[in-house]
Amino acid sequence: MSEVKNNTNPGPTPKVDTRKTEINKFSLIFNKLGIWVIVILLAVVGMIVSKGDFFSSANIQSILEAVALIGMVSSGLIFVVYAGNMNDMSIPMTMAMSGMMTVQCINFGFPIALLIGLLTGAFIGVINGFMIGKLRANPIIWSWGFNMLLSGIARVVWGGKQLYADSIAKDTEYAQNAAETFYAIARTNVFGIFSIMILVMLVMFVIAWFIHTKTSYGQKAKIVGSNYEVAKFSGINCAKVAMITYVIDGVAAAVGGIFFSALRKTASYENGTGYDFSCVTAVLLGGVALAGGKGSVVGTFGGVLAYGILNNVLSWIGLGTYEKYLVQGLVFLFIVWLNTYSNRKLGKG
Amino acid sequence: MVKRYLAVLLSGLMIMGSVCLTGCGSTSETATTDTKEETTKEETKEETKEDTKEDAKEDTAAGGDNLSESKDLLAAAEKDLKTTDGHEMMAAGTTAEVPEATASAEDLEKLEDTDKEKWHFYEYLDWDTANDATFPESPADGQKGKKVVLIVHGAHAWTTCYQEAFEAACDAVGMECEVYDPNWDQSTQDGYVDQAINEDPDAIVVIPVSADHAAQQFKKICDAGIAGFCSNTLPEADAMNYIMAYTGPDDWAQMRNLASALGKAMDGKGGVCYITHNVGTSPYYARTYGPMSTLATEYPDIKSLDVQSPGFEAAAVKQVVSDWITKYGDELNAIVLADDSDQAIGAVEACKDAGRSDIKIVAAGNSKQGSELVESGDLFEMSYQSCQADAGLAVRTISEYFCGEDIARVSYIGTDIINKDNVADFTPCQW
Repeated sequence: MSEVKNNTNPGPTPKVDTRKTEINKFSLIFNKLGIWVIVILLAVVGMIVSKGDFFSSANIQSILEAVALIGMVSSGLIFVVYAGNMNDMSIPMTMAMSGMMTVQCINFGFPIALLIGLLTGAFIGVINGFMIGKLRANPIIWSWGFNMLLSGIARVVWGGKQLYADSIAKDTEYAQNAAETFYAIARTNVFGIFSIMILVMLVMFVIAWFIHTKTSYGQKAKIVGSNYEVAKFSGINCAKVAMITYVIDGVAAAVGGIFFSALRKTASYENGTGYDFSCVTAVLLGGVALAGGKGSVVGTFGGVLAYGILNNVLSWIGLGTYEKYLVQGLVFLFIVWLNTYSNRKLGKG
Repeated sequence: MVKRYLAVLLSGLMIMGSVCLTGCGSTSETATTDTKEETTKEETKEETKEDTKEDAKEDTAAGGDNLSESKDLLAAAEKDLKTTDGHEMMAAGTTAEVPEATASAEDLEKLEDTDKEKWHFYEYLDWDTANDATFPESPADGQKGKKVVLIVHGAHAWTTCYQEAFEAACDAVGMECEVYDPNWDQSTQDGYVDQAINEDPDAIVVIPVSADHAAQQFKKICDAGIAGFCSNTLPEADAMNYIMAYTGPDDWAQMRNLASALGKAMDGKGGVCYITHNVGTSPYYARTYGPMSTLATEYPDIKSLDVQSPGFEAAAVKQVVSDWITKYGDELNAIVLADDSDQAIGAVEACKDAGRSDIKIVAAGNSKQGSELVESGDLFEMSYQSCQADAGLAVRTISEYFCGEDIARVSYIGTDIINKDNVADFTPCQW
C-alpha cells in the first residue's frame, strides 16, 4: 500500500516584521518633556550638592540673572533657527550697535534713546531679512559678513572707543537723569525679588510663545523651516516670513544689547561678542532643530535655564574652570544626542 | 509683444553693459592714476626719508644738529606731554632688581601655587644675557625723522588709548609712526611682523598677542638688523635675548602691593576668592598668583577659597560671585579681580544683591568704571596702570636709544595704588 505522503513543503514563509515596534518609554517621556527632564535632573543634583540651598531665593535669582541676557536674545533667535536659517551671526554687532545708539542718543531722554536702540535692532533685522528672505543670501555667510561690516562701521564712527552714558549726557538735569535711568535698568529689583532683567526676559519668552503658537506667522515659519519649496508653492510669502523673523530677532538682540550696555555701564563694539554661539547653544539644547521647522519656545526657555543651572551646580561642586568646560561640553553633547535619539526612536528624526 | 519685451530687455542690458564698462574704465583709470600718485608719493616719501637720514648723518658729522634737536624735542615732550589725568606721560621708567632663582624653572614648577618662589620666572624677565643676539648699534643721531612701526595686539578701548598716546608722543619727539592691528590673531601679527621688516623702519615695537611667540617674532626683527622693542605685555624670558628693551607695567609688584594692603585690611584672617584674566596670559599669572602667594607669605591665616576664570562679562562674573557668596557664606571676606571694569561691576553687583558690603574687592585697573567704584567705596583698591604712560615710556626709551644713550633692558611705569583717598588724582580716566 502506498503511503500517501502529506505535502510537507510549507511554501514561502510569511514575512514577519522583526523591527522593534515597542515605543521606548524614556524616549517618549524625553520627547514630551524635552529639556525639562534635564532641568529637573540638574535641580535634583543641585539640591544634593548644595545641601538644600539650591532653592534659596538668592540662588534662584543668581541663576536667572546669569541667563537673563542669553534668554532675551534667544527668545528672538529661536525664530531664525525655527524658520530654517540656522543662526544669526550678526547678533554680536546688533547687540553692540543697539547699545551704542542708545548711549549716543541719551541726551534726547531715556525713552527716546531706548526707542532708537530698539529701532537699530529692527533696522538691522530688516536688512538681514531682505538679503536672506528676498535675495536668498546664505544666512550664515551673509549675517557673518554683515556683522563684520557693522563692526567696521562702529569702529570708524566711534574711533574704537567706549561710550559712557554719563560722559555723553550734557550737563542738564534731564540728560543726567536719563543716563542714571539707563544704568539703573540693569540694577533695579521689582518688588524686591526679581531684577528688571529677569522680568524682561520672562515677558519676552511669553511674547515669543504667543507669536510662535497663536499667530499665523508662527505656523508659516514652521512650514518655511520644514520645507522652503513646499511653503513657496503653498502660496506663503517666504520673503515676508524671513523679514518678520529677522525683525523679531533684531529687536530681541537689541533688548539684550541695551541691558548689556547698561549692566557694564559702557557701550562698545565688543559688547555681545560670543552671544551668537551661546544663544544658539541654548536654542538647540531646548530641542529646536538646526534644520528648522521643529522646536518650541518653552523648550528654548528650558535650554536657557539648563545653561544657567549647570554652571551653578558645577560651582557648588567646586570644579575649576577647565573641569567646568569639560563637563559643560559633555552635558551639552549628551542633551543633543538625547534629542536626536528620542526623535529617531519615535520616527520623528 | 514678446519682441517688444525682448527689445526692452536687450536695450536695458546694453545700457547696463555700457555703464559697467564706462564705470570699470574710469575706475581702472582712477586706480591707475591713484597707483601712479601713490608711487610718486612713495618715491617722494622714500626720497624724503633718505634725505632726512642723509641730513641727519650730515648733521651729526657737522656737529650733531639733528641729535641736539632730537634731545631738545625729547626734553620738551617729557616736560609738556601729560596724560588725561594730569600725570607726566613720558616719565622715566623704573627698574626692578631680579633676585637669584633658587632652582631651575622645572624644579620651581613643582612648588605649591602659594609659594612665591614658584613664580620667579613668570615674575621676572630673568634671561641668560650670555645668549643675547647682536643688536643693531644705535645710530646716535637722534630720533628726529626716524620711522617706527607699532604692532599692537588687538582692537580694544585700551588699545585705542595706547595707540593715540603713542602717536602723540612720536609726533612730539619728531618720529614718524605707523600702526598695525592684528585683532588678537597670532598668525596675523606674525604676518605684520614680516611686513614691518620689509618696510625697513628704524624700529619696530610689538605688543605680543602671546608671550610664547615673542621670541620668534623678535628674533626675525633682530636678524633683519632692526631694533625691536616689546611693550606692555611681558614676553617669555628667552625672548629678551632678541629684544632691545621691554617697557610696561610691573603687574606683579602692583598686585603684590594690592595684596599686602588687602591682607592688612582683613586683619590677617579670612577667605579670598580669585577671578582671573585669560588663562595662560602674563596677567593671568601676575594677577592671580601674585596676590595669592603674597597673602600666603605675609598673612598665613588667610585662606584661598577658589579660583575661577569666567571671562570678562559682568553677568558671568556676577553668577560666579553670587555662587561663592551662597556657598562660602561668612567664610568669604575678599575677592581679587584681574579687571576693574566688567569683572568689578559683576562682583560688586553680586555683593550688593546679597547685602554683603563687608566683602573687600580689589582689582587691577584703571578704567572709568573702576575709578567710579573706588570713589563710591564699592571697590577697596585697584592698581594704577596708566595706558598713556605705558605708550609714553616706550617712545621715550626708543628716542633715548636713537640718541645713543644707555637704555635699561627692562623698565616699568609707575606702580601707584588707587584708593578712595587718592582716586581724584587719577581722574578723568584715560579710557
